[in-house]
Amino acid sequence: MKLHPVQTLVSRCIGHLSRQRYDVIVVGGGHAGTEAAAAAARMGAETLLVTQKIQTIGALSCNPSLGGVGKGHLVREVDALDGLCGRAGDWAGIHFSILNRRKGPAVWGPRAQLDRQRYREFIQGELLSIKRLTVLEGSVEDLLVTEPNPDEPGSHRVTGICLENVLHPISASSVVLTTGTFLSGSLFVGQTTSPGGRIGDAPSSAGLSRTLKETLGLRVGRLRTGTPPRIVKESVDFSLANVHLPDRHPTPFSFMNTHTRCKPEEQLPCHLTYTTPGVERVVQESLHLNCHIQQDTKGPRYCPSIESRVLRFPGRRHLVWLEPEGLTSDLLYPQGLSMTMPPEVQLRLIREIPALRRAEIHAPGYGVQYDFVCPTQLSSALQVKSTQGLFLAGQINGTTGYEEAAAQGLWAGVNAARQAHSMPPVSLSRTESYIGVLIDDLVSRGVTEPYRMFTSRAEFRTTLRPDNADLRLTPKGYELGCVSSSRYQEATRVQNSLQEAMTALQALTLSTNSCREKLPDIRVSETKSTVLTGMELLQYKELSFEMLASVFPERLSPYLEFSQRLKIEAVYKPHCDINKKEIERIQREENMFLPPDIDYFSLPVSLSNEAREILDRVRPTTLGAATRLEGITPAAVVNLYNYVHFAKKKGVNGQQKMTRSK
Amino acid sequence: MLPLLCICREIRKIAVHTHRKSGLPALYQLASTFSGAPAGLADADTIFALSSGHGKCGVAVVRISGPASSMALRCMAGLRRHLPSPRTALLRSITDPSSKEILDRGLVLWFPGPHSFTGEDSVEFHIHGGPAVITAVLQALGSMPGMRPAEAGEFTRRAFQAGKLGLTEVEGLGDLIHAETEAQRRQALRQMSGDLQRLYQDWSHRLKRCLAHVEAFIDFSEDELIEDGVLERVDSSVVSLQAEIERHLKDERRGERLRSGVHVVIAGATNAGKSSLLNTLCQRPAAIVSSIAGTTRDVVETVLDIGGFPVLLSDTAGLRDSTDLIEQEGVRRARERVQQADLTLVVVDSVLLPCEVQKAADILQENLTSVLPDLKQTNKDRCLLVLNKTDLLPEAHRRELERELNEVSGLPPVCLLSCQTHEGLQDFLSVFHSRLKILCGDPLSGAPTLTQARHRAHLQQCVVALAQYQKLRDTDLALAADGVRLALTSLGRITGKLGAEEILDIIFKDFCIGK
Repeated sequence: MKLHPVQTLVSRCIGHLSRQRYDVIVVGGGHAGTEAAAAAARMGAETLLVTQKIQTIGALSCNPSLGGVGKGHLVREVDALDGLCGRAGDWAGIHFSILNRRKGPAVWGPRAQLDRQRYREFIQGELLSIKRLTVLEGSVEDLLVTEPNPDEPGSHRVTGICLENVLHPISASSVVLTTGTFLSGSLFVGQTTSPGGRIGDAPSSAGLSRTLKETLGLRVGRLRTGTPPRIVKESVDFSLANVHLPDRHPTPFSFMNTHTRCKPEEQLPCHLTYTTPGVERVVQESLHLNCHIQQDTKGPRYCPSIESRVLRFPGRRHLVWLEPEGLTSDLLYPQGLSMTMPPEVQLRLIREIPALRRAEIHAPGYGVQYDFVCPTQLSSALQVKSTQGLFLAGQINGTTGYEEAAAQGLWAGVNAARQAHSMPPVSLSRTESYIGVLIDDLVSRGVTEPYRMFTSRAEFRTTLRPDNADLRLTPKGYELGCVSSSRYQEATRVQNSLQEAMTALQALTLSTNSCREKLPDIRVSETKSTVLTGMELLQYKELSFEMLASVFPERLSPYLEFSQRLKIEAVYKPHCDINKKEIERIQREENMFLPPDIDYFSLPVSLSNEAREILDRVRPTTLGAATRLEGITPAAVVNLYNYVHFAKKKGVNGQQKMTRSK
Repeated sequence: MLPLLCICREIRKIAVHTHRKSGLPALYQLASTFSGAPAGLADADTIFALSSGHGKCGVAVVRISGPASSMALRCMAGLRRHLPSPRTALLRSITDPSSKEILDRGLVLWFPGPHSFTGEDSVEFHIHGGPAVITAVLQALGSMPGMRPAEAGEFTRRAFQAGKLGLTEVEGLGDLIHAETEAQRRQALRQMSGDLQRLYQDWSHRLKRCLAHVEAFIDFSEDELIEDGVLERVDSSVVSLQAEIERHLKDERRGERLRSGVHVVIAGATNAGKSSLLNTLCQRPAAIVSSIAGTTRDVVETVLDIGGFPVLLSDTAGLRDSTDLIEQEGVRRARERVQQADLTLVVVDSVLLPCEVQKAADILQENLTSVLPDLKQTNKDRCLLVLNKTDLLPEAHRRELERELNEVSGLPPVCLLSCQTHEGLQDFLSVFHSRLKILCGDPLSGAPTLTQARHRAHLQQCVVALAQYQKLRDTDLALAADGVRLALTSLGRITGKLGAEEILDIIFKDFCIGK
């Protein structure tokens, strides 16, 4: 593995910018922004990334970890599309483990604890060396908004940005906003609040937020999140916590890496400890000092602060993970202890936990409340439907998590570049990727709490596995232009080898008798047919590809490199074949487009007023998306289906009837 | 999620079904149906239709639904000042709104929304059942602004859209409209009131919990806190659900049979009087009867109502070896019918029976075996022995046979009957009726029975899917969870209600999850 040397392409001051017009401008340098900028540049767009501080590009604002169940799937998919976060994780990881190892490869969760320093180092090195990408330090004051292009749908058009303290605006064909928690963000500790999106950073401009709400008329909501205090490592008594070791052989996130930077033996452990009744008492006693928790803004149910956990499930013991912040860091991150009470109470609280009884706090925990743009106003290309040229990605769309942000960023970057090159938008289907599930959930259902990825959100979980993300997405990404040819070649090589190996396995047969003789470890049932193919044999739990290859060395040993993948393919094949039909049905529905300017209120179809309002507000692009809307009854879908079908048959006349009269 | 095309099919089926039998006069049918285009006009329309059956009847019910309902009531029932109190019958003269001509005198009822069948304002006119009166009232309604004849199934569709009915209830309603016999009507009523719906929803609810718990275990268990024993609880739930659904499926198709009719086949040797039995039962000469053996060559079918149970009765060719090609085909068809029958009436010419009871029993056994070669002790209740032509027997012989034959073990119930004089017909009918009752189940007692083949198919899928969970639970939990998902989808296809977000809601309600 190598790290790109930090080059001097950075233009820290506006006067050094080589141009006044870009194809794509990305605002924000977090996980969404960096992936968006990198993807747009890979697509061939002249791209400008504007961030408040170049130094914080690639900073992990909250937990020092990447991946997990569901989230690990997203990292693998971002990597399959040549994004940054997978390779950055392999570079910065200091504790790798695959979660859910015993529950089946479809739900394996690749995860790593990260070294904050190394992660930032990698992302910055990578970004600053990408061709056509310029990074600019500055604060965006406002968006340039003009009249829309009358040939396209939309009532406004964004044509660039204005920077603070700079006279001339910078124009662009597309602007991607990835402002994270900074949109009207406020920070909460105890009873004090201050404007901002992250401690230590300046708040973002009020002009931007006003333009989104007032000029562009976007509906926004408010969400909250929080982060735990950071603890001084040497003040912790690890003898009172359970040690949790990483996998002995780290598995890299990236399809392009065979090993991680961190050597197996260099990995650091995590520690597990629990809350006590004393913790609950401190929370109860300090509620009146806690502004953040008293507000009714929606926080995430699955990543709750210690306060809301104690209030919702009193009398229980809750987990606290003590995670390293880096190889050389003196700090620990107490996962599960995000809190917003006054700093002196935070200290009292953590000291109720035996392992932390003498712990010192380096920086207190705090809460953030921020505006998000209701994502049902976006298309599946993550473009604001009512505004030409404006794309949104990350927490601004109501999601939480680095991986969710990175996935959206990449896809918004791809589409922003396509728009700049006057190409039609592209979307990923929920039948082919978790990214597709994520975006479809956001734009068709919207959010009521910060959205996090779970494997249970994906209908076709057994097909959308972390192991086959390259087969699912790399060819498509290459076709779009966001995947390098070296990655494409590697994916093609893998695909061909797997295909060959599976053909060989299918052709290879063994009678049940010789099976018992040559493979005594597997229990072949007596009643089954007398001849088994290699593919069928591999479906036995006890049999690995290596064992089979030792029986048929000449035919199978060329594929030993793919042992694990072949085993997984064999086990899942029958189930994926069943899924296929359902997937095709959904893809058919997703290909039934609803005209974007259809007037649902006057549509001569039997629909309830509620259904009309929902359809008018969300404006699903396809019938498939309409079926997934909350509040749309099956009957409404049927009527809509019939109408679309009918209109299609009638051809142009039908189309005209459906569109709003101008 | 409910597959769209599947719902489409179901709802279309309902619509078509209702349409076929909706008894609108021809004039209104033409006006209301536009070449099968399914989508109607906007909801703002007020629809009306004759809701009771077509044909001669004492009272006909005309139903109106939509915003203009109250206007129609005011104009046509002369209620200028006040609307009648809701859901109370009122006797009024019903007049044509423009000519003021009195069309009929009948009851009017006012159902203000949302407490009505469709959830909208609704009105019912109960008028006299003559075609002239009905046509006049429908024409008068059609002449008012904002009113149009309802499309096939449109009342039900509006009720479904207003959330007043689930899919199973919609189906129950279709059945209720078409219930041709008393027992069918009782079952349709049960389904309407949501017995079946409640049963399926209880299963669906339990399955949702199972799925939520498996999903929580997959998505959260390792670094977040999930209590022990979650999967074990799912295991036992899945086992008991599977057992319950299997029991429900093992009702021997009783509900379906009641809905579509019990298939009863008359079979036996030539010239035993099978066609006479058919004619006797349907009280008309439906089949040709002669003393020539082999008169009936094809299958003759007729539909009957026996004590409230629908029966599809088939008369078949007499079983014998014949050189006549047509008769051979008739015999083949007869055997095919017998195989598919729910109940077989084996007809024997009683004149051919010897006097000695044991010998007579042996001959009956031979007859049985020739008609039903696979008859086993267990399915003896699938046939009845009918000894015909008892009018030709000496009285003493007849009495002895009647007394003794039912004592002989190994024989199905024996009925002695004369199709000529109808002697013994009442006894036969009561035995026949009690058989039907067993085959259909009593629709008002015990667990609700399956009424639709569609339900059966989905429930069978559900059972198979639950077995997948059990089989794969220890090897691959993701695949096992797919089994529970599939089971839930199959059930959802019956009840028409399923949401993915619900799963997450249950997870967060049941577990404290957090990192």
